[in-house]
Amino acid sequence: MEHGSIHEHALTIPLSERSRCLRERLLSVTEIGGRGHIGPALSILEIVDVTYRKIMNSALIKDQSPNRDRFLLSKGHGCLGLYVVLEDLGLLGNLDLDSYCQYESAFGGHPESATVPTIEFSTGSLGHGLSVGVGMAKAAKIKHESWRVFVLIGDGELNEGSIWEAAAHASKHKLGNLTVIVDFNNMQASGPVSEVLDMGSLQKKWEAFGFETIEINGHDERAIEESLMKPSTGSKPRCVIAYTVKGKGIAQAENSSVWHHKAKISSEEIESLRAELHK
Amino acid sequence: MRQTGLKTVYELAKKDSRVVFVGSDLGAGTLKDMKEELPEQFFMEGISEQHLIGFAAGLAKEGFIPYVNTIANFFTRRAFEQIAMDIALHDLPVRLLASGGGMVYAPLGPTHTAIEDLSLMSTIPKMRVFAPGDANEMRALIHTSLSDPRPWYVRFGKGGEPIFSQEAQETPAAPKVFGHTKGEILILSTGILIHESLSAIEILNENDGLDVTAVHFPEFTDLHESIWSELYKEARVVIVAEEHVPSGGLFSKVLRTAWQEKWDVEKLVHKSLPFRYLHNYGSQKDHLKANGLDAIGLVECVRAN
Repeated sequence: MEHGSIHEHALTIPLSERSRCLRERLLSVTEIGGRGHIGPALSILEIVDVTYRKIMNSALIKDQSPNRDRFLLSKGHGCLGLYVVLEDLGLLGNLDLDSYCQYESAFGGHPESATVPTIEFSTGSLGHGLSVGVGMAKAAKIKHESWRVFVLIGDGELNEGSIWEAAAHASKHKLGNLTVIVDFNNMQASGPVSEVLDMGSLQKKWEAFGFETIEINGHDERAIEESLMKPSTGSKPRCVIAYTVKGKGIAQAENSSVWHHKAKISSEEIESLRAELHK
Repeated sequence: MRQTGLKTVYELAKKDSRVVFVGSDLGAGTLKDMKEELPEQFFMEGISEQHLIGFAAGLAKEGFIPYVNTIANFFTRRAFEQIAMDIALHDLPVRLLASGGGMVYAPLGPTHTAIEDLSLMSTIPKMRVFAPGDANEMRALIHTSLSDPRPWYVRFGKGGEPIFSQEAQETPAAPKVFGHTKGEILILSTGILIHESLSAIEILNENDGLDVTAVHFPEFTDLHESIWSELYKEARVVIVAEEHVPSGGLFSKVLRTAWQEKWDVEKLVHKSLPFRYLHNYGSQKDHLKANGLDAIGLVECVRAN
């Protein structure tokens, strides 16, 4: 499939009922906090949901078993997407997501492992998660343990040089237990990725860094599952380039940098987004 | 000092498989024996300090104790955010072994001279900051690091410093007191400046008949003031000498302690590097001399006060 058509397919693929429910919850939580990165959270929702529900063993995560797979949301600003999935899967314990962004809440605008035990690592500043994931995947290798590491990064985050430092080292250490998922929604805070900093062919870049590379529609649950389930062909780390739509599922937020982040969101605005979700 | 520090890491690694060494292209000879004997605990990686801090944090999160070595500034300046966010925010036991502390790399210019490292690292919550003065202290400190859950930054000297401390040290991080037990002059310093302080004591005793006490702080985070509070109170003049910019270093810490304890701060005298990047080359010794931080400079400072 041509790149343009994958993005088009990502735009047109209908949402499952589950995906709509998660989005509905995401909007409710955002309304409570009165702020948030809605667009980046909506683009990763299916990726996070399928990874937690179909790929990783939730029971091991709930028990904080050393054998659990690790998931790092390197693009921490997409945390609303992570929060609602963790809540839905019963992975937040007694923590109350309805306190989002309140003074004593465990849930802020970026995810913190200090306040939410099932969040693997605190993120927020871009370009950190992959290096940490490389260290974790190396640790599993040294200990001869079979758990895997998934790192979800944004396409804008690829501007950070540290991502490429980490990519080179993942390849050097032959980390077949590491999977990088690029949320390729083609839109960063200031506008289209191709205008802000055109990174060229992501597939060629990741392949040049020694990764086994797959391109998928990042809202197609079956495609996500297949790309993550597929056993590694050996010692190569994997990069799944997931074509997504920023703000997916809500017309006014789709492909809109306006909805990348809002520091103040009114109940009326949330109502307007909610109405479009149900169209 | 650097060789002893790295060798001690190797000794620890032999006893404890959690200990790993991470370096950024440090040269083929670095810990060659460890590389051969313990390849799963030795990582000589690319020139990528930001990544290496995150990598070490990932290893530490999974139960390893990484000792990362590179040039001081490449930690403190280049990878500050990774140190703060990946290591300290997560309270991970990563040890940063910083080569070329202070003016060690004077001939290499301002990109390599570490003149604000202690200040930068001290602003990071949970970080313990050390500046040992000789190889014995370095060895003893690295040994105690194994059981400490907090992150560490250790400023390395050039190497070959005279030995002034005991081989066996129960509490190597605690301040060490030298010279007269109730000196009218008190010199406080950290890192390798203790050697200049000790020489100054000798000169002042012999030539001026002055009773001088020196206190060396191997740990910069916690000054353990109970050990030297009486010395401070009884001294007529307290000189704080540091191979560091004037702000955020030892003087700032001593001043804060004095203010908190309501001690007399009028008696404080500050000797430091200037608050600017230094464009002279030469040697570390040259810079200490030029800024009045060598033994003669300290003697003159005492005589002037």
